[in-house]
Amino acid sequence: MNEKQTEQKVTLATKDLHAWFDDFHAVKGISVEYPEKTINAVIGPSGCGKSTYLRCLNRIHEEVPGAKASGEVSLLGQNIYAPHVDPVELRRNIGMVFQKPNPFPNMTIFENVVIGLKLQGYSKKSYLLEVAEHCLKKAALWEEVKDKLNRPGTSLSGGQQQRLCIARALAVNPPVLLMDEPTSALDPIASAKIEELMTELKKEFTVIVVTHNMQQAARIADYTSFLVLGELIEHGLSSQIFTNPKEQKTEDYVTGRFG
Amino acid sequence: MNSSSHKLQLSGDKKYLLSFKSQDSLSKLLLRSVAWTVIGLLTIMIILLTRESFIAIEEFGLEFITTSYWNPVLEEFGGLAFIYGTLVTSFIAILLAAPLSILVALFIQEVCPDWIGKTLGLLVEMIAAIPSIVFGLWGLFFLAPIVREYIAPFLRQTFGFLPIFQGPSFGIGVLTASIILAIMIVPTITSLCREVFKVVPSHQREAALALGATRFEMMKIAVFSPSLSGIIGASVLGLGRALGETMAVAMVIGNSPAIVASIFAPGATLASVIANEYAESTSDMHVAALCLIGLVLFVITFIVNFIARGVIWHYTRKQGNR
Amino acid sequence: MSYLQYRKLKNILFLGSLYMSALIALLPLFLILQYLILKGATSLNLDFFLHDPSPVGEAGGGMRHAIVGTLYMVGIGSLISVPIGLLCGIYLAEFGRGKTAKILRFTIDMLTGIPSIIIGIFAYILIVAPLQSFSALAGGFALSIIILPIVTRSTEEILKLVPTHIREAGLALGLPRWRVIFQIIVKGNFKSLITGIMLAVSRAAGETAPLLFTAFGNMYLNFQISEPMASLPVQIYTYAISPFDQWQEQAWAAAFVLITIVLGINLVSRALVNNKMIIGQSKRVINHTRLIRKKKGN
Repeated sequence: MNEKQTEQKVTLATKDLHAWFDDFHAVKGISVEYPEKTINAVIGPSGCGKSTYLRCLNRIHEEVPGAKASGEVSLLGQNIYAPHVDPVELRRNIGMVFQKPNPFPNMTIFENVVIGLKLQGYSKKSYLLEVAEHCLKKAALWEEVKDKLNRPGTSLSGGQQQRLCIARALAVNPPVLLMDEPTSALDPIASAKIEELMTELKKEFTVIVVTHNMQQAARIADYTSFLVLGELIEHGLSSQIFTNPKEQKTEDYVTGRFG
Repeated sequence: MNSSSHKLQLSGDKKYLLSFKSQDSLSKLLLRSVAWTVIGLLTIMIILLTRESFIAIEEFGLEFITTSYWNPVLEEFGGLAFIYGTLVTSFIAILLAAPLSILVALFIQEVCPDWIGKTLGLLVEMIAAIPSIVFGLWGLFFLAPIVREYIAPFLRQTFGFLPIFQGPSFGIGVLTASIILAIMIVPTITSLCREVFKVVPSHQREAALALGATRFEMMKIAVFSPSLSGIIGASVLGLGRALGETMAVAMVIGNSPAIVASIFAPGATLASVIANEYAESTSDMHVAALCLIGLVLFVITFIVNFIARGVIWHYTRKQGNR
Repeated sequence: MSYLQYRKLKNILFLGSLYMSALIALLPLFLILQYLILKGATSLNLDFFLHDPSPVGEAGGGMRHAIVGTLYMVGIGSLISVPIGLLCGIYLAEFGRGKTAKILRFTIDMLTGIPSIIIGIFAYILIVAPLQSFSALAGGFALSIIILPIVTRSTEEILKLVPTHIREAGLALGLPRWRVIFQIIVKGNFKSLITGIMLAVSRAAGETAPLLFTAFGNMYLNFQISEPMASLPVQIYTYAISPFDQWQEQAWAAAFVLITIVLGINLVSRALVNNKMIIGQSKRVINHTRLIRKKKGN
């Protein structure tokens, strides 16, 4: 599709991915490749299946009663929909950040960050502290919380909570970070901070972000996919999607004539 | 830490004896088996109750609920008087309690400032927390004399032309039991009604007020009328509670298995006769008859609760679709 | 009188009747508490807690045996039912869509509605009759059936209020579902769950009917699970219908102690969580209904 893309290593690729809620066909055969260390936006009108699509990438979609998915998603070359793959084990390799900041209410800031590691059997306090500091620094939260690591995670402001959730996702050092409208519940200042953080994270991780905010996608994403009613209309460099789309539907959407 | 160190491990971890998938299905299986144990418990309860009352069913058949002759010594058992007593006391209790509870719920939800409403609500729920034996004790020593000295004479003088208000009152009797029951079910109906009223959207109240309605008219149009089926459901649940109430009734009703028109006279209910006689019953037939009384009570409360469930379910569904 | 004045008058009369109704509804509560304090608290003394009953006619004596018996049997009931009730509530909240859940929910509704005297008969048939003896075990078992549906319901209601995205955050971190449920959802709502349990236990502590012919009663202190055992409610009943003044006084004292225990647990457990809970579970139910309506509205 694009020269730059073929040069880079592909972290995550989907091939003919479908998803259903009971009888409702929400995602209809999407095939995309995500190159390493890029930000990839998924945009589309609400109800187009973009969140469902994202949730198929770490197989959390199938946890909803009545939901199922089929197709192929390869993470670093391995198909995560292969029969031998344990979805729980898989999710430990993929970070996810949700629409609403959702730190665990019964855990402190510190516990929230290291919970992923604890689950994998790490229990040495000094190591956990080191990782917590590292991740909180990466999530640009360390300076604000370093003196109150033992306060509940829910005591922070919305934007801080979202960065805490990002730190929590980073702690297991996943190759891919999925973000489901991570700024839609935040005010503009907190959103800007998260966006800034995402461009930082790009240096180490591959980020896939669902957003309903086209300006945001244009600002931060290297590649953008446009979905309508579960179908992939167009995928390409953001610069191309937003300035020179190939499809009429994409042009209508990005210029605000549709959706 | 950098991305080159990303390692993938997708299939089962050797550290664990079971894969996560099996851990999850195992835990779900465990929860489900606990659920079935509880379901089994209710089933066994019904089966055992039926089995124990079987010889009484065989002996008396339908006559058990159509005759009122109850004599443990002669082993002749008819339960009609108890069914009558249960229904009458519960019915009077609902007549007294439902209007009062609706008014209290309206008062708490619609009129009171928030903190007074909360305090009142708490106090009303305190009534529900009082053990029924305490109601019985209070009914026996405090309420019964008051009924005998004041309430019964007043009713006799005012409405004495009706047969239900004739005859002497000894304090203990159907009326006293009904009053105690009414007091006991007020909290149930009140808190359910409050929930029903809370669900009414405030814009409906405002719409009524904007039309120039007084607060009374507003409550009538915008709160009471749309909640009617919910209020009925609440009252039926209260009725269910009254039907099965045992101790308080057993202590103040007088325990005489007779059908008398006057509500001042002593009576007996299904629950009170079991409480009084079960521990002392010696013959198999007596035990079976009492179990059958229990079964009848079970069926009645089952039907009433089932109706209440249906009404409330219907109500919430209607609310949800609105 | 103009029509408007008539309407206003009706309004005032109605508001007045609302105030009256609140007074009437609360009157019994105050009368009962006042009577209990007057007659019960005054007959209380240290002997009441330290001694077993003395024979009729002799002064003194207490209800140590009944207080111990009540705690003992409520303990047995809780041991049986609190774990089962919690698990059932968890099942309904977390896997509440299937057929089993539907039947379970129905069963729990029915168990809540069953008159407690019938639970007594059931425990009698199941335990007393085969063992040929009234026993503390049968009493505890009967109380456990009282506790079970209350714990299940409150657990379900509390856990249902936890938003789905908290569960998903746990799943996305690679937690198996059972650990999400127990380590995040249940642990995070521990306090509210305890409140539900305490309310159920306080309810069981006041029950008489299921104990009448299961634990029966005992005039002596007993710790044997297979022997008849006294309890405060049954003892109150026995003494209240007795013809002896002294016993009736003891009944009042016991009623005072019982209501102090029951209302005490009730109030403490409500206060334990927070002020928002003061109006009890109804608040949660309403929040929940609102949530559902919001979702459906969208």
